[in-house]
Amino acid sequence: MSKPFILQTILAAAVCKTVRRALRLRGSGGTALPGKAAMTVCKDILAVTSRGMEIIVVTGTNGKTTTCRMLEHALTSSGRECLSNKSGANLLSGVTAEITCNTDWLGRPKTHYAVIECDEGALKQVVPLIRPKVIVVTNLFRDQLDRYGEVMHTLDAIRTGIAKVPESILCLNADCSLTASLADDVPNKVVFYGMNTPVGDQKDVEISDAKYCIRCGREYRYHYHTYAHLGSFYCPNCGYKRQDPSVAVNRILGITTEGSKIEMQLDGKIHPVRVGLPAVYNLYNAAAAICAYRVFGLPEEEILGSIADVRSSFGRMENFTLGDVRIQMILVKNPAGCNQALEYVSGIGSDYNVVLCLNDRTADGHDISWIWDADFEKITQDPHARSILVSGDRAEDMQLRLKYAGAEESRITLEKDNARLLQIMKESTLPVFILPNYTSMLALRKVLSEATGGEAFWKG
Amino acid sequence: MQVKICHLYPEVLNLYGDRGNILCMRRRLEWRGIECTVDSLRIGDRKPLSDYDLFFVGGGQDFEQEVLLEDLRAGNGEEIKAAIADGRTFLCICGGYQMMGHYYETHEGVRCDFLGAIDLHTIGGEKRLIDNYAFRLSEESGAGTVVGFENHSGRTYLGSGVDPLGKVLRGNGNNGEDGTEGVHYKNVFGTYSHGPVLPKNPGLCDWILRSALERKYGTAQLAPLDDGFETAAHESVLQKVMNGEI
Repeated sequence: MSKPFILQTILAAAVCKTVRRALRLRGSGGTALPGKAAMTVCKDILAVTSRGMEIIVVTGTNGKTTTCRMLEHALTSSGRECLSNKSGANLLSGVTAEITCNTDWLGRPKTHYAVIECDEGALKQVVPLIRPKVIVVTNLFRDQLDRYGEVMHTLDAIRTGIAKVPESILCLNADCSLTASLADDVPNKVVFYGMNTPVGDQKDVEISDAKYCIRCGREYRYHYHTYAHLGSFYCPNCGYKRQDPSVAVNRILGITTEGSKIEMQLDGKIHPVRVGLPAVYNLYNAAAAICAYRVFGLPEEEILGSIADVRSSFGRMENFTLGDVRIQMILVKNPAGCNQALEYVSGIGSDYNVVLCLNDRTADGHDISWIWDADFEKITQDPHARSILVSGDRAEDMQLRLKYAGAEESRITLEKDNARLLQIMKESTLPVFILPNYTSMLALRKVLSEATGGEAFWKG
Repeated sequence: MQVKICHLYPEVLNLYGDRGNILCMRRRLEWRGIECTVDSLRIGDRKPLSDYDLFFVGGGQDFEQEVLLEDLRAGNGEEIKAAIADGRTFLCICGGYQMMGHYYETHEGVRCDFLGAIDLHTIGGEKRLIDNYAFRLSEESGAGTVVGFENHSGRTYLGSGVDPLGKVLRGNGNNGEDGTEGVHYKNVFGTYSHGPVLPKNPGLCDWILRSALERKYGTAQLAPLDDGFETAAHESVLQKVMNGEI
């Protein structure tokens, strides 16, 4: 390293840390600004401050954060120090801040391992700088369409990113025809994970994000479905089909609000596994994490054991106790994830109250039309769903969606003020499920944490 | 009374919550005691469209467009044109709206022939026009306001003598140049508005329903509904759009 460059690195790292410290003194999470500041001093500072680290990157529409949490938990509970961008800041500036703040005064990384969640659109900027050993792509669904355009554009963006790091090993969801198609276009080594078992009623999904073969345009057929467009797909025309995964959920033995019991198949060998988070989509996250951990070169027993007591990450199946009221918060950002959350809540089988929060800020996407593609009928037609609260900047839109989903107007309460919302929840005699989108989750989580003595989000 | 709705190509034209429009039309008919059936025409299906009173065409992904155009050329295109000429009601959103025109020319100059049922055409632009927007309907419909979400790279230009659906209040509309939004031709209602457009704009929904009932029964009286939630959602977005907040 040349002298001016070393000085630049030292300065950039110092700026990054100072800005973060200043922001935190003011009580702000400060997740992106420190990175931006460091990048103005040295544009590619991230390449320097991540040098020598072994890194797993997780991208894809849904499940990024939870998959990262599972990986990080496996690393730390087996005694390995590991850095992770827990705050959810997953654009170039956020990743830069996270890694650059974790360096010594010369800008050298303090930890060897990192698990990095990366936004699909930012992948092409981030991975060439950090050169990850493993990249996980969880799935592709319609999400925040006003930011990306269409699903195919997102897929192109991911492909562009992967092409820049041909040495990275890919872990791809075998059951997602969009994600799995990445294997054909890149020179990288690919390992698949998936589910070898059908889930749900096997009815054809009305809205599919991948109805037609990505190669030839013919309608896919399925040996079985898991959820949304995921499952054992095949094209009757050109032969494009799901690849047998080397890591797979072989059988689901039971799912409760506490977690799931499953059989996991690793290269043909069956292992009984407990996953400490409920809902089917977390089984995909578990398979993704186990797959990545193995190809990363670490002993699989570590993650097979640690995944039983993985803690939820903020807002994702996160539990709070407010007075006597049990509250579970489930982040929902798009129809596929929302449907899974609604399926889970309406499958509980005992009475509950539900809070639906909808914001339309930049991080959420200004377009909230996706609520019409999600099956809120699952809640409005569930007799166990007693009262429904709506909140957030677009509460009126959510309220209207529920009316057309068949809810009597008297069952719905609109409350935009979070303090009053908290009071209503406190008075609940039933468990409460909160389904917020991103920025409404951050705001609600803050009031809930304060009321229940929880931690600030950047401390996780 | 009965209204038979046909959803055209729901398996490909289903972006951005547009299916909410069907739900909205169905409920607003049923709440008034008018029977409503919803059927669909999928790629490869062949059936007489004269069985239906109202057609819904949504927006779709570019990737799937070619499959659709092939099916239109194979016969359904002529059926659709005949239904329009016959005065049947169509609600066409975004890609479905563009499809009614003569052609779409991409930004790179590649031309794709469409139905040519209405004298309009679309030119692909470099920048996508994305965000909440608002427009005012024509006088004949009572000049109500409509709020929605536009997300399109195509710029649509209406032929002379073809009426827009409304005039843009905030946002881009058809092309971001001439202040027009959508098209109203015979009983075809075309708009760029996703959202879905109808639930938050019950006046527009009822206008569309009335057109189908009038054609079928000669007269259409729609009983007023309690639109409290609809109005609240409309007003909250309209206020934000007009204040430039979103």
